[in-house]
Amino acid sequence: MSIALTLRDAPPARIDASPLTPERCNALNSMRVAQLPLRCGRTTLTVGELFRVDGYVGDTTLTLAGDLRLLDGIGAGMTGGRLTVSGDCGDRVGAGMRGGELTVKGGVGAYAGCEMAGGVLRIGGDAGARLGGAYPGARAGMTGGEIVVSGHAGEEAGAGMRRGLVAVGGRAGDGAGLRMLAGTVIALGGLGDGAGQGNKRGSLVSGAPLTPPPERYAFAVDRYRPPALGLQLRRIRALGLTVGDALIAGTWARWSGDLTELRRGEILIVDEEESQ
Amino acid sequence: MSGYALGGADVADTFAEAFPMRFARLVITAATGGWALEAARSATGFATSVIGCKCEAAIERTLPAGETPDGRPGIAVLLFAMDSDGLSHRVLDRVGQSVMTCPTTACFDGWPDGDKTVAMGKSLRYFADGFQASKVIAGERFWRIPVLSGEFLVADTVGVGRGVGGGNLIVAARDEPAALAAAQAAVDAMRGEGIALPFPGGIVRSGSKVGALTSKSLPATTNHQLAPTLRAIVPDSLVADGIGAVFEIVIDGVSEAAVRECMRRGLHAAAAAGASHLTAANFGGKLGEFHFPLTDLRDPP
Repeated sequence: MSIALTLRDAPPARIDASPLTPERCNALNSMRVAQLPLRCGRTTLTVGELFRVDGYVGDTTLTLAGDLRLLDGIGAGMTGGRLTVSGDCGDRVGAGMRGGELTVKGGVGAYAGCEMAGGVLRIGGDAGARLGGAYPGARAGMTGGEIVVSGHAGEEAGAGMRRGLVAVGGRAGDGAGLRMLAGTVIALGGLGDGAGQGNKRGSLVSGAPLTPPPERYAFAVDRYRPPALGLQLRRIRALGLTVGDALIAGTWARWSGDLTELRRGEILIVDEEESQ
Repeated sequence: MSGYALGGADVADTFAEAFPMRFARLVITAATGGWALEAARSATGFATSVIGCKCEAAIERTLPAGETPDGRPGIAVLLFAMDSDGLSHRVLDRVGQSVMTCPTTACFDGWPDGDKTVAMGKSLRYFADGFQASKVIAGERFWRIPVLSGEFLVADTVGVGRGVGGGNLIVAARDEPAALAAAQAAVDAMRGEGIALPFPGGIVRSGSKVGALTSKSLPATTNHQLAPTLRAIVPDSLVADGIGAVFEIVIDGVSEAAVRECMRRGLHAAAAAGASHLTAANFGGKLGEFHFPLTDLRDPP
């Protein structure tokens, strides 16, 4: 058994939950976990005042449950272990993660997986803006790891991304891959407007036709099977997204751009007959 | 020749001598099994002996679509060389010239648990002249090399394992058809996971010895002791009465156990298929650290 924290009542203010990482909690006993301080607005509360603490130190698994929308930074900076969250979360979930597995059975706010460097972040619901992106003013976003979102993603997913994979089962909002350096953003439900603006070497993948065609990108070829994308689609299926065999075996159109940048980036758009 | 009888064959009381080699396993996939086979045959061509070809390679087995990284039909090939440096050159040569050039192929690392790696896509990417792109998928880096029909996908590196090279079995019978039938039966039984039989059809007609009787510069010459036509004029001939043809099967394997069990399968299959004498080649135990006594292979597989 592992440590399980269940939120008692709605907290009086937003909480910085970043101290609640599996490796930290499981290095302590349940009494010490209950004494951990958490910033709550302008005050500090202990974990025990906010959560019911169950279980004991056994492995590197931590479970959080309840309505966690006022908790920000859940799993931020995780380096290992497993964190499972039941319920919706606030902002910065898994931000700066370097390892481990973080699974959220619900939706998350903005900046989830922001500047993440490793590990796997699974989100069962929708994600807010700047998923896997960079913080405002920062040049590089995610530099490694994998993010899988079963629902939709907000604006500017993968903004500034340098490496890694962001996969969205639904639709990615406007501005996906903004100023992307490299890495891959896959949106099985399609990309919003203005995708890939400022993209240098990144790959954006739209599982639905794009209308109008991407701006500042040049059409290269269609009816083509990118072998790396096949591997990536298999990978995200293994991570829990529903990806049909027809999509994996399907053909794609490649647009190269951003033409005002290096022109080494790409937007892959599923061929229309494949998406039907 | 003393030893034991196995079916209708006399098995010599001797051993096969083998030596350590480094190996890589490449998984070649393609749109169809036919194209994967074309690439695999080309990549393992002219790779019978390190003496003349700098490496030894063979198709290990075919892989159904469900067993390959990209879900397409594939072929696993094993490539052996004397050291990692030599192996790295051969991997680049063969993947670059035979796999990348073959329509629809991709090439993956089939030995990810190797104790070291050599470059594959990491070097081949330069063929892309700056247009290469990489993707890290599930922690493994791949290179996308633009080619005339799309992209060639190749793993960044390939794992290097410590294997065994030069295991062997010598199959003899009354005449050439009988010896060949027995050798072919042995080869069919010996092929399998972890095994490469690098010679044409798995069988060697021109078995060799180290050095020469007539020259100090030749590294290998015909094994005159096992040549039936020389039996009457060679004082140290090892060809027994009633033997008209001899074939050798050379075995490279990913482990000592793999070679041993491969030899066991071959020994019993050859005996059942009409071989009259079965033996093995060695160098008195001085050359290789792996010895496979035929007496240890008496029990059926």
